[in-house]
Parts: sequence; C-alpha cells; structure tokens
Amino acid sequence: MKKQTNILISAACAGALLLAGCGKKDDMLNLFCWTEYIPQTVIDKFTKETGIKVAVENYSSNEEMLAKLLAGGGDYDLIQPSEYTVEAMIKEDLLQPLDHAKIPNLENLAPEFRNMPFDPGNKYSVPWMAGFVGIVYNAETVTTPIVGYNDVFTPAHAGRIVILDDPREIVSWGLATAGIPINDVTDENLAKITPMLRDWISKVKVFDSDSPKTSLSNGDTDIGVVWSGEGAILFNENPKFQWVLPAEGFHMFVDSLAVPKNARNQDLAEQFINFILRPDISKMISAEFPYFNPNAAARALLTDAERNNPASYPPGLDVTKAQIFRDIGGQGSKIDELITSLKVR
Amino acid sequence: MAVAAAAATLASGPSHQRRAGLGPWFCLTPMLGWLLLFVIVPTLMLLVVSFCERDALGRVIYNFNLQNYIRAFDWMWLKILGISVWYALLTTVICLVLGYPVAYFIGRSNERVRGLLIMLVMIPFWTSFLIRTYAWISILSQDGLLNAALMGARLTSAPIGFMYTPFAVVLGLVYNFLPFMILPIYTSVEKLDGSLIEAAYDLGARPARVFGQVILPLTQPGIAAGILLVFVPAIAMFAITTLMGGGTNPTIGEVIQNQFTKARNQPFGAALGVLLLIIFIFSLWLSTKFRRSEEE
Repeated sequence: MKKQTNILISAACAGALLLAGCGKKDDMLNLFCWTEYIPQTVIDKFTKETGIKVAVENYSSNEEMLAKLLAGGGDYDLIQPSEYTVEAMIKEDLLQPLDHAKIPNLENLAPEFRNMPFDPGNKYSVPWMAGFVGIVYNAETVTTPIVGYNDVFTPAHAGRIVILDDPREIVSWGLATAGIPINDVTDENLAKITPMLRDWISKVKVFDSDSPKTSLSNGDTDIGVVWSGEGAILFNENPKFQWVLPAEGFHMFVDSLAVPKNARNQDLAEQFINFILRPDISKMISAEFPYFNPNAAARALLTDAERNNPASYPPGLDVTKAQIFRDIGGQGSKIDELITSLKVR
Repeated sequence: MAVAAAAATLASGPSHQRRAGLGPWFCLTPMLGWLLLFVIVPTLMLLVVSFCERDALGRVIYNFNLQNYIRAFDWMWLKILGISVWYALLTTVICLVLGYPVAYFIGRSNERVRGLLIMLVMIPFWTSFLIRTYAWISILSQDGLLNAALMGARLTSAPIGFMYTPFAVVLGLVYNFLPFMILPIYTSVEKLDGSLIEAAYDLGARPARVFGQVILPLTQPGIAAGILLVFVPAIAMFAITTLMGGGTNPTIGEVIQNQFTKARNQPFGAALGVLLLIIFIFSLWLSTKFRRSEEE
C-alpha cells in the first residue's frame, strides 16, 4: 500500500513539474494578425536571429480580432488592429503603452506616420502597413472609363463585381458617393444611402475580404473595390489590372502593431516591432504584400517597379490629406445588420 | 394470476436485466465527461448568453431579456434560415439519390472488393475539406479546368460562370457530405439477408417490388442515419457556402459565425444558435418517430 502511495506521489510531482514547464512560455511570442499580411519568411528570420519562437493565429477583420480578444480565448502578445480599432481600444484601456526605449527603429517611420490622430506620438501602436481602398478593373473586359464608385456599380457590370465583405467599408463608399463625411455613420445618413447600397449590392457577385484578387484573376469577376495591396499584386501579375482611387473620396487605412493589456510577453512583442521596423525586414514585407510602406528608410530600398506600382504608391498622392476611419462605437452592429439584410435576395 | 402476468412482463421487460454495478459507469466516465464538458456545458452557456445584451465593443452584459429572440423572428433572419434549410434539403436528396446505388453496389459486392471500395469512399477524408473546396474553385472558375475542357471540346463558345452560384454551393455541399450518406447505408446493405431477397423473387415479386417491399425497409435505418448525418451539418455549414457562394445570399451558418466575429454580437448569435438547435432536435425527433412507425 505504501509503495502504491509513493508511486502516486511521484506521479503527481511529475505532473506538477510538467505543468510548471508548460506554464513557462518566456520564449514564445503569440502573434494574432491578419490573414495574408505577415510573410512567413519574416517570422522565420525573426526566430532564427533571436531564438524566439512565434505562434501565429489569423483573423480577417478588426471586429473578429476584438471579439476573440475580449472573449479571452487566447493569450496574445501582439495584435494588428487598424486605426479605428486602435482608437476604440485605447478608449477602453485595452492596450499597453509601448516602451519606446526598446524600439529604437521607430525613427525609421516617415514623419506623417509618427503622429496619427488615432494615437498621437505612437504611444500604443506602430504602423505596420498603410493602404487604400480603391477600384481595380480588368482593362481587357472593362472598356468604359472608370473614375469612381458610380462607374463600378452599373448595369453593365452586374454579376461581374467583387467587393470587400466589410460593412464599414461598404457604408463608407456609399457615404462618400452621397457627399457625406465617411465617419458620420448616423441613422439618418444610413437611411439616406440605403436605397443606393441596395442597388449596388444587388449587382455584386462575390464578397471577399481575405483574397478578393482570387475571383478577379480567375476571370469570375472583372471589376472590384478592394485593398490596394490586392490591386498591386494583381497589377504585378498582369498589367491589365488597372487601379483607380475613387473620385468621390477614399480613405487610407493604417494597420498597426499593438500590445494588448495583460499581454504576458510585452518584451518579446517590442522586440518583434523593432525587428520589423528594420529597413531590410520592412522591404521583405513590401515585396510580398505591396501596400503603402510607412517606413521611410525601407521605402528608399524598394525597387523602381515596386515604387512605381500605382496601387501601392498612387502617383501624386498627399498622404497627409487622406481621410481615415474613426471609432464609431455601437453603430458597428447596426451597419452589419443593414448590409446583411441587403445581401438577402 | 396477476402475479404471473407481472412476472411475465418482468421477464420480458428490460427491468429484469441485472442491475448495473459501478463497473459500467466507470467505463462510461470518459464519454460522460466528454459530453458534459464539450456538449452540455457549452450548450448551457449558449442558452444563458442568448438572453443577454452586449456593449459597444461586444462584451456580454448579463442583463437578461428576450430581445434577441424577438429580433430573430424578423422576416430577414427567417428567410436566411429558409434558404439554409432549402440548401440542406436539396443536398440531402441529391446525396440520397447518388449515394444509395453506390452503397448498395458496395454492400453487395464480394468481400475483397468491398474493402477497397469503402477505402475509395474514405480517401477524400485524408485531405482537409477546405483544401478540397479550394480545389473545386480552381476547377469551376471561369479560367478553370472545367471551362477549359468544355471550350476545348467546343461544347461552349464562351466560359460558363459556375462559381459563386447556388449550383456551386450545392455541388460543394453534396461533394463534402456524400460519404456521410454512403457509409451508414452501406452498413445496412451489408447486413441485408440475401435469402429474404431470393424468397421474394421465388414468391413472384418483380424487381421493383422486391426493392420497395424488402430491400428498402431493411436498409431504412441506414437511410435515416444518412439523412441525419447529411441534413443537420449541411444546415449549419458556413465555410463551403462562403467560399463557393461568394457571400451573396448568406446562410444561417455564415450569419451565426458573423455574429460571433465581425458583428461582435455574441448574444444574438447565441439566440440564432439556440433556434438552430431546436430545429435539429425536432428533426431528430421526427426521424426517430419515422423509424418507430416503420417498425410497427
């Protein structure tokens, strides 16, 4: 009997040791980021140089990320929210202030990205990539001039359109077309643009935020309103894919890196931020995901082809004048229901 | 006399069986624990959350009321549910029509071939269904393999838009769920007593009658199981419908997933989930009732 007890005790000790071992996750960075946004090569290089392992989990919208974060599903050390979500999270005290002493490469950022209105002075967030939402079209099949949203949602293009599956985006295009500031998401303004959005959505073939380029490059759609990075990839694939910033108005998104409150490994997260701010690393990111790189030092390293891609770096654009999304609070679920109702045919 | 009758019922009834000791319960513990942890507790959580509210960021506020259910009975959500049930029904019927002959053929073939054929049915499971769905996209897209073949054979002059249509959705669903129809029917067919079929023929029945009055009733448990295994998951499926349907005409699975992620409205998603659960329980009840009336 005594022998049995001894075995039990030693088994329990072994278990406890094992648990303690698992609990010690000092060398693991838990990254929660967008799909198709952080190249695996960059993550591998980070692990190789620092010895820090990286666990990656993906999401496909800010809302999804927030939902998971708030549900407490995972222990994330580093997240990748867009500007309006950074603003909401700062407001709700969900982000950890960054220690700038640990991120000396911050100075590589272009000055216009050092002091964005959603997070003045980069206190909580560091821009990863910026970009625009605009129109991409196949110039072989679309021969009419394309200037703005109204040229996209025409009867001629019905059933040939792909747009982002993102209610906030769709609503902002409608507001811009109606001449309303894109952050004025009030009930009256929504009512005003609803008939137009209903007409637009009835002509859409595919809703896709993750990879809208797929249906364009497969030939299932001819024209779309998509992320500029997707437009840039399509242009690189085949120059027949033209990029247009809508004349009615467009916005710039700034996807940033931030550390959620109570993150276990803030130190590792800051190491990662500093790593991706290195010009040579940031250049690798640009090569795979050709968005607008906020890193001035890295932009200097780009090839001419990369810099002259009209979707990545629209010619003659003044970034400081681009509109950005602001936090709209609880209106989010209202616009989600609106767009869902318009999708039901 | 009364005592004898009681004894007789006791003898034939299940209550006569030896009372189970602790042993069987001990053996069942892993399964009961699993059920409790991963079915009963989550379902209760879903039920509780479905009566709650949420704040601007989507955090659940434990303020109990019926508003989510009132909202769920809006025409729009019911229509979405209707579309999903219709897709699932169509998928089930097509799977049954395609799967039954296959299952019958496999079940009646000789034993050496049988193992091989069942293996062939199972092989698709070795690859993730998402990858197989992406494969369908490259087959069906406008610049895809099918259109290239059709145009190469001069069957059509312009590419046909197969993708992002109800056709593509149902095709994706049928493709993924067909094995779940074949396998249970196969097990019923395998157990089929060949002498009963021979007897039916000996008594002068024609093939149609043999099938309708002997084979079909005997394989009915397999059919019922197949229908359940296809219909229930097909209603709630969201990945295939999003990828193949392009997000137009959302299904209830997509909407619920959306409530838990993009819309950040867990309580409403939970309420829709509970309604779906009620539909599942109802269809389960219907199928057991159907089976029982068949047996009588």
